[in-house]
Amino acid sequence: MKEYRNYYLKKFIWFIVTLQCAFILNFILPRLMPGDPVAAIVARMAQGMSNATGVQAVYEQYTKLFGTDKSMIEQFLIYIRNVFHGDFGYSISQYPRTVADVIQSSIWWTVALQFPAIIVGWILGNTLGALAAYLRKGFDRVLLPISIFLSNLPAFGMAVVLLVIFAVDLNWFPTSGGYGFDMIPNTSWEFVWSVIVHYQLPFWSIVLITIGGQAIGMRSMAIYELNADYVKYARFLGVKDSKIIRYVFRNAMLPQVTGLAQSIGTMVGGALVAEIIFSYPGLGSTILTAVLGGDYPLISATTLIITIMTLIAFFVLEIVYGMIDPRVKAAQSE
Amino acid sequence: MTIAQQDNARVLMFETPYLYNMLDGQVYPLLAEGPYAWNDSRTELSFSINPAAHWSDDTPLTAEDVAYTWEAHVKYNTPTAAANVDYIEDIVASDDYTVVIQAKLNDAGAAINPLLVQAYVSTNYVIQKAWIQILEERVGGDATALLADPAEDVIASGPYMKYFADDSKVVLIRDDNYWGQDASMWGKLPVPKYLAHVIYKDNAAGTTALQAGEVDVSQQFNANVQNLWLEDGLPISTYLPDAPYGIGASLPTAFFNLTGSSYGLDNLAVRKAIAIAVDYPTIIANAMTNQSATFDQVPRSLMNPTDGEQALYDHDAVADLQWAGNDIETANAILDEAGIVDSDGDGWRELDGQKLTYIATCPNGWSDWQAAIEVVAAAGKEIGIDITTNYPEWSVYQTVVTKSDAPLPEGYDIFMMWSDGAGPTQPWSRIRKLMSSEFNGMTSNWNGNWGGYANPDADAIIAAIPQETDEAKLKEMYTELVQMYLTDIPSFTLMYRPQSFHTVNESVWTNFPYDGDGTNPPVPPLDMMDGWGVAGLYNLELVNP
Repeated sequence: MKEYRNYYLKKFIWFIVTLQCAFILNFILPRLMPGDPVAAIVARMAQGMSNATGVQAVYEQYTKLFGTDKSMIEQFLIYIRNVFHGDFGYSISQYPRTVADVIQSSIWWTVALQFPAIIVGWILGNTLGALAAYLRKGFDRVLLPISIFLSNLPAFGMAVVLLVIFAVDLNWFPTSGGYGFDMIPNTSWEFVWSVIVHYQLPFWSIVLITIGGQAIGMRSMAIYELNADYVKYARFLGVKDSKIIRYVFRNAMLPQVTGLAQSIGTMVGGALVAEIIFSYPGLGSTILTAVLGGDYPLISATTLIITIMTLIAFFVLEIVYGMIDPRVKAAQSE
Repeated sequence: MTIAQQDNARVLMFETPYLYNMLDGQVYPLLAEGPYAWNDSRTELSFSINPAAHWSDDTPLTAEDVAYTWEAHVKYNTPTAAANVDYIEDIVASDDYTVVIQAKLNDAGAAINPLLVQAYVSTNYVIQKAWIQILEERVGGDATALLADPAEDVIASGPYMKYFADDSKVVLIRDDNYWGQDASMWGKLPVPKYLAHVIYKDNAAGTTALQAGEVDVSQQFNANVQNLWLEDGLPISTYLPDAPYGIGASLPTAFFNLTGSSYGLDNLAVRKAIAIAVDYPTIIANAMTNQSATFDQVPRSLMNPTDGEQALYDHDAVADLQWAGNDIETANAILDEAGIVDSDGDGWRELDGQKLTYIATCPNGWSDWQAAIEVVAAAGKEIGIDITTNYPEWSVYQTVVTKSDAPLPEGYDIFMMWSDGAGPTQPWSRIRKLMSSEFNGMTSNWNGNWGGYANPDADAIIAAIPQETDEAKLKEMYTELVQMYLTDIPSFTLMYRPQSFHTVNESVWTNFPYDGDGTNPPVPPLDMMDGWGVAGLYNLELVNP
């Protein structure tokens, strides 16, 4: 039991240290980008303004509001204090919306799109990869090239192909949005159906890409395991094939589980392509807009979310690894 | 609560005393009744409020609301106040329905800028005094909180109110109690019950939605727009049936860096050679897919292509200065004559022994601008001046270009920025922003003249125009400014661009504004949510009622 305690304690300390480093970097890095995002707000406010001193006054007002007139150290101390109060301030690119409001209104679209897509793609990809390794012959010959094709197709390429075929040409699905352009959110079946219909193309564009990569990885690992000495030895001893396969796929799963954790941890940032192509109202494209616009507060908040999600995913993964594979714990608890 | 107010101040929820119509250059009463009037000394401008006007809570809209709106702007130093306090002394209600705008005066006792004073009435909307006071109480007088308040409970006077908003769309609902159905104004309500502004992530998504019939009015640039009806057979059309399909209103311009950090650009021969060598027909055909008038159709000046502005200068007087572009022969001759030749045989010209090499720049992702800048670079190669291109992100670009208190850094020798569109202060305001030196030296210059041009003669005329009322003299002054601009060439316009693009899909609604549709005054090709464009909402008809 003590071994487990040491193992988990060590992981937790690393988790905290990494989080602190990430917190500092999340603040500093966006602010090191060239450009002055406050000038973008002034650009909006100054449209039609003819007097030079007026524009200057507006600029100074907003640098004060966003604290960019203060030193980096002062800004950082204020940032820490505000974050501990759950306040990320105003978004620069979407002012006067607060960062919390921007994230709150879009993150659930992204999670609802990405999480199921990653899970479905992961399960289907691994199942197909395992079957290909086990069955070989015709199934493998068909699956392998398809998987290679899918995994190498850029995400935007897949999204555009689906958009052109199923939305523009066949007109089976809508071209954009999270729900009907002529609706507003409500609890009616009509609205729910609209959400489901709008969900399909972005969802499958992610699933298909995920399937390809996962199937190839799983197939390779499974073939490696199937040819391992312990499998040959077990067969020689007359152990049932079904029992051997269970061990084989359990061992082959380990790197795949790591990939799954990584995908879940970074799903908010990974949602970018599908969201842009299908104008899906999620956080991915919001992040892109924030980066292009130098929106420090929004970048810091969203990258902090991604960092925390990734750290939690890997922390849970380490815990699970410690449980399911004693070798990992044994190697790292000393 | 910060909504940028400009020449076409939005009027769906909030209304201005007057509305400007870019097609005839006139202002028409909205909240006001009858035309505004200056006193004899042009120091006070007064107008009456339409007694029929009322707020969405049914209380009457009075002169006191107009006066308190200004008072609040000044008290909280809003962008509106910052823009106008140099020109407006005060706005007062002389009785319930009479508003007097007192101009700020110069030492001679004349209004500093009467043009901007009269522009105020069509570019700034009125907010209810009672609601502002509620807001002030809510934010405890804190200016920052006041500007950032979402104003969900706002009382407005316009025909539509907010119904729903999220990251994908904003929906407005018609206020059936709207005062504008009074016989003294529109006489009826606008036709659509709801107006939805759908937000697309990029132009491609917007175009696809327009093709699919999910967008009725598209105000974005759709490349090769004519293909939508000629090749795809869709019920889509534009304001004009043929190229340029819309009414050009602004002048996207390439500025020369005249701040001293670009070697050789202080030499007029270099600037002129580049400007006349550029192949503008290719820019208009490729970058704008012909959605701009050519410089043969509308010769270059400082005016947009509308009839009103074109009439403001003497075309014959400047005809010999108006180049149409792609004139490589003349450009080479100018450089040769100035002694700017290729003396070392490397294919590039030198000025006083130094090779002329420049970087032409515009923001990354602004595809039509990037295509235009590529054509500028290509012109350089034709005349022995090495011009390469660079496309920084907008967040970087804007910071560099708008910092006018230091020479521009490397990479910004020739760079694109916009010019003013149509508006009640045009073309004066556009010319000021293209030529006035008053912006040089600002740490944050969002006005114009980003290349740092300085000409005291031009400054003097620009300062004098707002005081002038004699139309003949005004024409002389504008002509002189055009002459100076085309002679000195501190910058050069690359294309004409509509105020906003206006492409409509008539599968659900029909009778959108188009050229010659018989409406009087004519409804301009805007997105029907701005300025006089709102008038188009009254003419719409359902295809399948």
